[in-house]
Amino acid sequence: MSRKWFWVMPLLVLACKAPQAKDEKVVNVYTHRHYETDKQLFSDFEQKTGIRVNVVMAEDDDLLSRLEAEGANSPADVIITADAGRLGLAAQRGFLKPERDSVLEANVPEHLRDPQGRWFGFTMRARVVAYDKNKVKPEELLTYNDLCSPRFKGQILVRPSEHVYNQSLVAAMIAHWGADSAQKWCEGIVANLAREPKGSDTDQLLAIGEGLGSVAIVNSYYIGKLMKSEDPARQKAKNAIAVALPLLQTANGGVMQTRWEIGTHVNISGGGVAAHAKHEKNAIELLRFLSSDASQAAFADGNMEYPVKPGIPASAILQGFGKLTPDTLDLSMLGKYNADAVKALTAAGWR
Amino acid sequence: MKHMRRVSWPILALALLLLAPLLVVVTAPLHSNSTEWSFVLHGLLPSHLKETGLLLVIAVALAVIFGTGSAWLVSAFRFPGRDLFRWALVLPLALPTYISAITFAALFGPTGSIRLALGLPFDIMNLPGLALVFALVLFPYVYLPARAAFSTGMAAHLDAARMLGGGAVRRFIRVAAPLARPAIAGGAFLVAMETLNDYGAVKYYGIHTLTAGIFRAWGGLYDVGSALRLSGLLLALVLLLVWSESRLRRRALHSTANHATERINLIGWKRIAASTGCGVLLFAGFLLPVGAIIMDAFRTADLPHLRIVIPALGNTLLVGTIAAALTLAVAIALAFSERHQRSRSRLVQWAGLGYAVPGAVIALGVMALAGWIGEQTGVVLIGTLGLLAYAFTVRFLALAGQPLRAGLAQQQRSLDESARLLGASPLRTFMRVNVPLLRPALMAAALLVLMEVVKELPLTMILRPFDFDTLSTRVFELARIEQWADAALPALLIVACGLVPVIVLDRLLERS
Repeated sequence: MSRKWFWVMPLLVLACKAPQAKDEKVVNVYTHRHYETDKQLFSDFEQKTGIRVNVVMAEDDDLLSRLEAEGANSPADVIITADAGRLGLAAQRGFLKPERDSVLEANVPEHLRDPQGRWFGFTMRARVVAYDKNKVKPEELLTYNDLCSPRFKGQILVRPSEHVYNQSLVAAMIAHWGADSAQKWCEGIVANLAREPKGSDTDQLLAIGEGLGSVAIVNSYYIGKLMKSEDPARQKAKNAIAVALPLLQTANGGVMQTRWEIGTHVNISGGGVAAHAKHEKNAIELLRFLSSDASQAAFADGNMEYPVKPGIPASAILQGFGKLTPDTLDLSMLGKYNADAVKALTAAGWR
Repeated sequence: MKHMRRVSWPILALALLLLAPLLVVVTAPLHSNSTEWSFVLHGLLPSHLKETGLLLVIAVALAVIFGTGSAWLVSAFRFPGRDLFRWALVLPLALPTYISAITFAALFGPTGSIRLALGLPFDIMNLPGLALVFALVLFPYVYLPARAAFSTGMAAHLDAARMLGGGAVRRFIRVAAPLARPAIAGGAFLVAMETLNDYGAVKYYGIHTLTAGIFRAWGGLYDVGSALRLSGLLLALVLLLVWSESRLRRRALHSTANHATERINLIGWKRIAASTGCGVLLFAGFLLPVGAIIMDAFRTADLPHLRIVIPALGNTLLVGTIAAALTLAVAIALAFSERHQRSRSRLVQWAGLGYAVPGAVIALGVMALAGWIGEQTGVVLIGTLGLLAYAFTVRFLALAGQPLRAGLAQQQRSLDESARLLGASPLRTFMRVNVPLLRPALMAAALLVLMEVVKELPLTMILRPFDFDTLSTRVFELARIEQWADAALPALLIVACGLVPVIVLDRLLERS
């Protein structure tokens, strides 16, 4: 009998063999981004440089935990996440290495990268508002505060507060206004909800198409993807919606003497060199590549994100939403206030 | 034979190795800070506990009704389609809950195609709706053991009840259901575990379960310590379930009559009602969601898509086979200890608890352990298939253990004693006498694990090697960017991979 089980042993030995390539033409990437555009860019990078890109894709929190467990043994060379808060966290826990690189510094504007060079933003995604153009006028949605107006009672569609996009929007508000005012804003949204928050960003857009609400808080690139979609089930929503890029004001609620707008809330995708990178040069090469003209254009057109490099235009669809004035808040604030944002969202009863 | 009651140290070590990741979780208050615990305790826990309880009660109750009811129908009666329903009602098990939940939302959600077409005034994306979805996918866990119990072993009791004039309903409530209680309880337990550890579906439907709370603390509050403490709480809840299940089993009535239950011809409206009942279950639990997935898959499948999906299929089967082999080897070792060393060690019993813990939490424990080993020895385990297989063993051991234990329970002790009297050692007795007789149970155990690994997502995603896509990670990638339709092809392959074990399993249970 036991002889029958011997075949398991070589299988297990094989299984435990670490897949580490010995040659140096390699860069190991931990990424939270799971887009086809990224896959294409990695393969372009391989073609161009001959450096093989090995990828592990997982949720950002998972990746941080994996880095923590691996410690100095970590094979990761580059860490990429789709949330500034997590980049800040990775930097704070020492998973990222400071880099001075003139190419990266020239390509990525100063407010979209870490002052110490531990991480660099590659794309921006804005938290914006899609509305039913037959029911709402664009001048009714100039600021995020307008969403709390009684005008929109029973009209607002948004996904659960579970999602980091909602959390980082509220974190930005806390950074600008303080926690109490941010919570008031959340309460204002909850009071105006068309339904309990559920589903994804795309689901909120489809709901506008079916008249289930007239205003949806969503991320810019989901609207871009919807506008590009040929799916017959999405045409109704596509034809119904228009987009507003609301601004954050400096103060919230009550009597507003000055309406000094700041900018539309953005979060970034970005990355940096892993603290224990064994292929540091290749890692920097890859980061440079991701900030290059070609990659930035691919992010813009392929994935409907706002490129960070000055001079690279957003896709025509996104430009149609209007000119984006991003909030230039220090992005590390998003991570700093994320926990407070979750508390404000919870206290406001935002599911 | 006093010396046999001692658990041997290799078995203890094995059990400890399996429990280690869970110990990391349970001992969290000793080794991890939790900065936001008071908020979690007062702000999150009450609502999350309440919704966990509600979801659990409704899902399990519905699954028990669906599973027991349909099992009773196909075991006790003859009606049109009965032979088909008998095996086809197992099929929903091939669907992962998250895929089923997303598909149902696409059909019956607020903007779901069927809801809009029919103008339904309600939608499915709420707590009772999700409980219904879970019950529709998971009821075969109850159906399978209940059917086995109804079909054999209680014919004498049922005949007696019938001769005493008990009607069909009365026979079911007073005789069949109580006799099948241990089987039903075992199935209900599995439904409860699956409901507790789901994350994908509850997140999408916006339901606040304990598992959702774990991820809110981990990802939202950046507080792994609180996440671990919540996981410990979840484990405590599971222990409570384990305890109540064993209570339900303990008072079981045993029956020795082994001839099959005689099936009665249903007549009139009852025929139609029985066919319709089973038909609706099969349709809602399997045909409808799979039909929707197939339509999307045909719409979106193209060559580049296939080029990604085919290697993912290979990887899925590779890791599934390794995991099933390792899990089975461990389950056999523990079964040996239980049989021949008469070990009632709690440690060995608890080794299966990982089944109820969300995969991501097990991954935390496994990584902490592997990381520590790496620090001490420099051996890099994280990112190897071996560690992934170990994690699967921790997670799915209970699944493999159940059929083995049941199979062994059917073997008379006199068998072992004869072999021992003839001079065979306990190990030799086990390998030469017990294990060969267990073949169907071994097969069932391996297939159950394989099926679960194919469906599993978080462990695979977190612990996988570089460039190692499986079908479920592929579904996740596409679902994550809200391209459900593109996810249909890999989802369909997951279902197809799941179907083979499900059908074989059904055959095996029929024979046993």
